[in-house]
Amino acid sequence: MIEIRNLTVIYKPGDIEALKNVNTEIPLNAVVCIIGPNASGKTTLLKSIAGLIEYKGEVFVNGVNTRKMSRELRRILAYVSILDSTSGYLGARVIDLLITSRYPLSNSFYDSKRDVEEVLEVARETGVVNLLNRSLRELSAGELQRIVLAAALVRKPKILLLDEPDSHLDVKWKTWLSRYLKELSKTYSIILSTHDTVFASNTCEYFLVLKNGELLFNGWKHELYKNKSIIEKAYGVEYEIIEVNSSRVIIPVYTTQNREDK
Amino acid sequence: MSRRKIVDSASSDNTYSLIASRSRIFLFNVLPILVFSFLYFSTYYNVLNEPASIKLYRLLRIYYVLLSGFILGASGSILQSVLRNPLVDHYVIGIGSGALFAVYMTVYFYTYHPLLIVLAGIIGGLTALGLTILIAEKLSGSDIAYVLSGIGVATLFSGASSFILFFIIVKYPYASLMTTGSFSIVDSSKLVYVHIPLLIILITYYTLAKKLNTVIFGDDFAKQLGVDPGKTRLLGVLVAGVSSSIIVSLFGIIGFLGLITPHIARFLLKTSDNRLTIPFSGTIGMVILALADTVSRSITTIVSSEIPAGSIISLIGAPFFLLLLISRFTRWSK
Repeated sequence: MIEIRNLTVIYKPGDIEALKNVNTEIPLNAVVCIIGPNASGKTTLLKSIAGLIEYKGEVFVNGVNTRKMSRELRRILAYVSILDSTSGYLGARVIDLLITSRYPLSNSFYDSKRDVEEVLEVARETGVVNLLNRSLRELSAGELQRIVLAAALVRKPKILLLDEPDSHLDVKWKTWLSRYLKELSKTYSIILSTHDTVFASNTCEYFLVLKNGELLFNGWKHELYKNKSIIEKAYGVEYEIIEVNSSRVIIPVYTTQNREDK
Repeated sequence: MSRRKIVDSASSDNTYSLIASRSRIFLFNVLPILVFSFLYFSTYYNVLNEPASIKLYRLLRIYYVLLSGFILGASGSILQSVLRNPLVDHYVIGIGSGALFAVYMTVYFYTYHPLLIVLAGIIGGLTALGLTILIAEKLSGSDIAYVLSGIGVATLFSGASSFILFFIIVKYPYASLMTTGSFSIVDSSKLVYVHIPLLIILITYYTLAKKLNTVIFGDDFAKQLGVDPGKTRLLGVLVAGVSSSIIVSLFGIIGFLGLITPHIARFLLKTSDNRLTIPFSGTIGMVILALADTVSRSITTIVSSEIPAGSIISLIGAPFFLLLLISRFTRWSK
C-alpha cells in the first residue's frame, strides 16, 4: 500500500504547481494506471513516490516514509522512463546499461560471471537479447522502452513505477507489453502512467485520474466505468465503453466535437 | 550476421568479453602500457657511447612524455563522462588556457619555480573550468553550450596569456613553448610534481569508475542506483581538472589529446564502461603523445628547429574535433 498525504510539488523555475495537495491510497496488489492529459502531474507523482524530486507532504510505502529514503527502500522502488539522450550516451551499448543497472547487487569492483548470467536471464525474458550489442544511440524509441524496462528488472525491485511504458510502441509490442505486465504483476507491484485508455483498460485494475495536478478519481476499474464522465472531464473528449471479447474497453470518440469546443 | 547467430553469440562467450573483469582490464591496459613503454625506452635510450648527461636527458624526456600522455588520456575520459559530453577535453573547455595564464602571471610577478607554477596552474585551471561550467549551465547546459562557453573562456585566457608572454620572455625564455606543449625542456625538478596527477587518478579510479558509468545515463538513473550525481560530478571534475592543470603548468597545453583518446578507446573496446575506458584512454594517450614527440625531436628537426609535440597532435586532433561536431549535428537527434 502506498499512502500519499497532502502531496504538493512546486517546480522551481516559474513556480509551477505540478501537484496540488493530493491525498490518496494506492493498492500494491493490482496493476495501477495513472491517466490524465499532458502536464497533469503523472510523471511528478511517480517521481515523488520514487523519491527523485523534492516535495511537500508525506509519501509512505508499506508504512515507511520515503523522505527517509534508505538503501533498502531505494532497492525496492524502480522508476522507469525513456532515458535523457542529450549526450548520445557516449557510445554506450545496451549491455553497458544492463550491467550498470546491476551495480547495487554486486559487491566487487569487477563484474562476476553471476552478474552476467543474471543480466542475460533478464534480457532473455524481456526479449532484448538480440539488441545487447547495439549502441543505445541507434535504437528506436520502441526498442529503448523495452531496454529501460529490462534495466529496471535487472536490479530486482519490488515496485515498478513505469512512466508511459507504452509510448512509442507499435501495436504488436503494446499488446505484448500488456500481457507481459500482467505476467510481471504476479511478482512485482506495478504503477504506470499512460494516455492510452485502450491499453489501460486491458492492463490495469485500479485507476487514478489526474488533471492540472489535482486528483479527479481513484478507484477500481468497474467504479470508473460506472462514471465515465470523469475521464471525459480530464481529457475534454467524449468516451464510449465497448465490449470486446467479453472484456470492457473504454475508448475516445473521434466523431464528436471536443467538449471544450462546444 | 544472421539473427540466430547474434542471439547465440550474445548469450555465449562473446558477452563475457564485453565485461569488465580483472583479467580483461589487465589484458587491455596494464599489458599494453608495459610492452609499449619497454619498446619505446629500448629504441630511444639504448644508444651507446653517449655521455651520461644526454642519457639522463633522454630517460627523463621519455618518462615525462609517457606519464603526461597517460594522465591527459585518462582525465579526458573522466571529463567526458562526468559532463556527459563527447566533445570536451582540457583544451576545448578552457582548463589549459586558464592554467597557462596563471603560470605566466606567476612568472611575471615572482619567478619560475615548479611548486609555485603547479599551484598556480591548478588554481587557474579550476577557475577557467568553473567559469565554463557556470556559463554553460546558464545557457541550457547542452553539450554544444559547453563547447561554446569553453571556447569563449579559452580565448579570454589565451588572449591575456599572449599579452603577458611579451613581458616574461626575458625572464623565462621557454614560456612560448608552453602554448603548444613541448617536452624539449627537460628539468629533473619537475619529476616530483608529474607524479601527483598520476596518483590522483589511480586513487580515485576505483571509487569513480562505476559511479561515472551510472551518471552517463542521467541523474534519475544514477540516484536510483544509490549514486549521488552531484557529488560524483564534483569529484570527477576536480580529478580531471587538477590532473590536466598540473600537466599544462609543467609542459604546456596539449590540445585535443584528451578529446581523441576516449573516442578511440570506446571504439576499440566497444563499450563505454569507465572501468575499461579510463585506463585504456590513458594508454592510447601515452602512445599518441610518444609518437608525436618522436616526430617532434627527429623528423621536424631536419627541416626546422623542434616543433612542439602539442602542435603535431593538434594537426590530427582539430580535424577530428570538427568531424565530431559535424556528426553531432547530422547523426543525432537534436
